[in-house]
Amino acid sequence: MARRKAQTTETTARQAKLAALRAQEARKRRRMTIVMTAIGVVLVVIVAFIIVYSVTRSNGSGSASSAKTAKVVDAATGVPPSVFAKVGTGAAKASPQKIPGNHSLTADGKPKVLYVGAEYCPYCATERWAVVAALSRFGTFSDLGTTTSSSTDVYANTATLSFHGASYSSKYLAFNGYETQDRENRPLDQLPAEDKKVFQTFDAPPYVPADSAGSIPFVDLGGKYMIVGASYDPQVLQGKTHLEIAEAMHDPNSDIGKAVVGTANLISARLCTLTNQQPASVCKSPGVTAAAKAMSGS
Amino acid sequence: MDRTAPEVHVPAWAVWASLVVCVLGLLVAAYLTFEHYTESTTLACSESATINCLKVTTSPYADVFGIPFAVLGVVYFAGMGLLCLPAAWRRPGRPLRALRVAGAVVGVLTALYLVWVELFRLDAICLYCTGVHVLTFVLFVVVALGSAAIVEETLASEREYDGST
Repeated sequence: MARRKAQTTETTARQAKLAALRAQEARKRRRMTIVMTAIGVVLVVIVAFIIVYSVTRSNGSGSASSAKTAKVVDAATGVPPSVFAKVGTGAAKASPQKIPGNHSLTADGKPKVLYVGAEYCPYCATERWAVVAALSRFGTFSDLGTTTSSSTDVYANTATLSFHGASYSSKYLAFNGYETQDRENRPLDQLPAEDKKVFQTFDAPPYVPADSAGSIPFVDLGGKYMIVGASYDPQVLQGKTHLEIAEAMHDPNSDIGKAVVGTANLISARLCTLTNQQPASVCKSPGVTAAAKAMSGS
Repeated sequence: MDRTAPEVHVPAWAVWASLVVCVLGLLVAAYLTFEHYTESTTLACSESATINCLKVTTSPYADVFGIPFAVLGVVYFAGMGLLCLPAAWRRPGRPLRALRVAGAVVGVLTALYLVWVELFRLDAICLYCTGVHVLTFVLFVVVALGSAAIVEETLASEREYDGST
């Protein structure tokens, strides 16, 4: 009787153990299903990112022209540090000039760069490449476009970028860029009162000669320096397509590379004085230090 | 010895793989932190329009509430490293296990956000950052699979099943 009871107890214990093991296996399978699903979801998201990115890059927004614009913008905003280093001041003819007095131009606690130009203007077309190359070392542009200068002005049809509709983000600088008219002289961007006041104040005597008042391009670097006009010879861009110019900016031996990148180094050196020499990767680079040295007397 | 203390069976591969990934992640994040505080003057990275470490590490997206992501990476991998020590894996009870899984989930979500920023906001990829993202994903996979495979049983209940009580 006692032996039979012991056998029953043992059988019950074994059944309980089996049931517990089965329950444990079921729990493990459930957990594995959840984990594999989670890993799958992450993988799907990563693959989706890569597909969307690849499609966007190869097609632009679905048109050949936007893909071409993206390629131009990529090249213009991504000039390698080695090219900046090799070019130095290059073939730049002018540098940002000190604004007399103790002015400052800031936004969101950061030094602000104000650009005023127009899409028809060939000198603006010239200067924009260098401004974009320089500012891209301190931050990131979004929605930069391409345009060409007026077909009826000097240096007709100069291929260039446009700040119309573009935005810029940087932890070092703020930037407002305005294209007041398109290449057909139709009104485009309106300056807000604050920026209009800066433009009207500093693009006028005594800061510029009376006969140059109101000239564009006008670039104010933090209220400390300004550029009025093109800083290199617009002739180097003549007859070149957007892509040819943007790609030449990666060649330190090309005329365009020397002119655009040299000017960008001079602008960068001035910007470094506004950002307290930050980032050092830009401000301590050979091209910028060479540019700073070249302007040390001015 | 506590006779009722649960025995935790953890796959050995999960313990060592997670620890190795944490150490590698810590090294890469430490390098990026060093570069951040030395102003990226020595950032060893190839340069092109798309592969551009400086554009990523000096962008406005490189910080969150003023704290560089590189520093957060060091803190993250150091913390996960502690949670992935063999003793931590084998410690019974849910809180530590849940914390490790939560850490892995937070890590992979942050990595996904940063990949999105690189591809769709900055249009530039930093190879070292990508290395950290890959390690974070691998850590997530290892921690998730390892945690799912954990078997915890009490010695007391084992003996009961064996009929030895």
